[in-house]
Amino acid sequence: MITLPHYLVVSAALFSLGMLGILTRRNAVNVLMGVELVLNSANLNLVAFSRFGPGNLGGQLFAVFVIVIAAAEVAVALAIVLTLYRLRRTPNLDEADILKG
Amino acid sequence: MTEVLRSAALFTPEIALTTGLLLVVLVDASGASWRNTVGRFLTVATLALALFLALRLLPAGSPGASIFSGMVVVDPLGLFFKVILLAASLLTVLLFTFRNSRELFGLGHGEFYALLLAVTLSNLLMAASNDIVMLYLSLEMVSITSYVMVAYMKGDRMSNEASLKYLLFGAVSTGAMLYGLSLLYGMTGTTSLPHIQEFLTGDLSTQGRKAVYLTTFLITAGFGFKVAAVPFHFWCPDVYQGAPTPVTAFLSVAPKAAGFAIMLRFFFGSMAQAGTGPWDLAGTIDWPQLLMVVSVLTMTVGNVAALTQTNMKRLLAYSSIAHAGYIMMGVVALSANGARGMMIYLAAYLFMNLGAFLVVTLVHLQDGTFDLRDYAGLYRRAPLLTVAMGIFLLSLVGIPPFVGFMGKLYVFAAIVERGPEYWWYAVAAAVNAAIAAFYYFRIMKTMAIDAGNENKPAFALAFADGAAVFLLAAANFLPIFFWSGIEGWARQSLTLYAGR
Repeated sequence: MITLPHYLVVSAALFSLGMLGILTRRNAVNVLMGVELVLNSANLNLVAFSRFGPGNLGGQLFAVFVIVIAAAEVAVALAIVLTLYRLRRTPNLDEADILKG
Repeated sequence: MTEVLRSAALFTPEIALTTGLLLVVLVDASGASWRNTVGRFLTVATLALALFLALRLLPAGSPGASIFSGMVVVDPLGLFFKVILLAASLLTVLLFTFRNSRELFGLGHGEFYALLLAVTLSNLLMAASNDIVMLYLSLEMVSITSYVMVAYMKGDRMSNEASLKYLLFGAVSTGAMLYGLSLLYGMTGTTSLPHIQEFLTGDLSTQGRKAVYLTTFLITAGFGFKVAAVPFHFWCPDVYQGAPTPVTAFLSVAPKAAGFAIMLRFFFGSMAQAGTGPWDLAGTIDWPQLLMVVSVLTMTVGNVAALTQTNMKRLLAYSSIAHAGYIMMGVVALSANGARGMMIYLAAYLFMNLGAFLVVTLVHLQDGTFDLRDYAGLYRRAPLLTVAMGIFLLSLVGIPPFVGFMGKLYVFAAIVERGPEYWWYAVAAAVNAAIAAFYYFRIMKTMAIDAGNENKPAFALAFADGAAVFLLAAANFLPIFFWSGIEGWARQSLTLYAGR
């Protein structure tokens, strides 16, 4: 029997893996994949809570919107990564270093 | 159907913006030779119309209403922020043009105006959202459109790099925020902010309270990113330096104001409960301490880092981080006076910061430099610009009689009246204001006293730019003469509609 805690554990694992990917990967495209994992971990949470929790559809509705936002975000991100790639011929984030923080 | 019609009647500023946005895109797609002029005219007209509609949306004394099944609210507080946000966009379009910005010169006009209108629309939605779904959607819409605006100089490495950094920081912070929101939904079983408040003020075990408190940490990541608060401020200097200056000026005021509006709604409207007075709230979750620490760190990091900057855009970026710290004092105070101080501060911040960035743009137009060292001897070459910049900087320091002082006065007063346990916080903020004075005065010293640039010609300032600088400088101290009106307006706007 799969219950709410199972979903929460999987989603926490997804969230951590996503954050790990964002923090350790050097290739911009891999970092974006990490971002997707983070967003989807939240989606999993929302749908699971909606299914096992109060029984309203608010969470599932939220998840649909998050999917749309994720698509929009990645579209913009890939466009920027591509422009940057054209300008400096590398997808590596470490080499994006003209601006020193 | 009746719900939609009723809602649409209270949604007119947003509808006007959407229509204007589509028209600007159409005009730009026409490819006609007049498209740039018409696009700019349409943008100004749309923003002015939206401002007009926003000002007369609610009759005086009305508590507001929730529209679109409780997703969005129209209330006096939201309207105050809408006016600030629309004014920020309108001023940006009027002050910065493709003529007076060297960075934007020669780039497409239509996209810029369309993006600006899109950010404005999402800012308005953010200031009015009453549901965590709407909160997240509008926050992401502001972010995604601003990423594109930052990358506006397509052939420029710096602009694209800034945008990528902005995007990655944004994705991480809003991702963490979304995870927090999903947990909050799981714990409370609802996405509506008023219902969350109902749940939290009800019977809640200590454990449940702690869980909600931890979730607030995650959610604060998103707000912190939007207003550039420590530790989510790292994007700010890079983005402000890399983006075209008009975009920087706009991003430093509008999304920040919207970010504070949504913070106010989230923390006051769902994480606190109504106390004795109409707006004296007692926290159900102990979040003011959390935000107090964030706020003190934000001002300290911003001010200390600004001390050593030589690039004007970076310096103003750190200064804007510090200002976010001061403005946050209004949220921490958790009182009607705190919210009012914050609103007045944000309105004042609009004029001082846009003014400072306008002068930076005009110096860049003439000399092609953002370096503070090249500002030496500016007073001989451009007395008007130097005096105006002096006024903007004094206003940013918070010296009377400029509006920046009034903003600081109100937030400090709101903190001090909270009682002795808040006094260390006020002292920390006052020390920070003193540190900030050092680097603002350093700019003035460079402009007025330092020798240099003797052989460079005097500024050739276009009439429109001179007039704009003059009017903005006037806007930094004239409001003092109408102060009771402004204060009354802010006081009347202190109604947060709490129904679903």
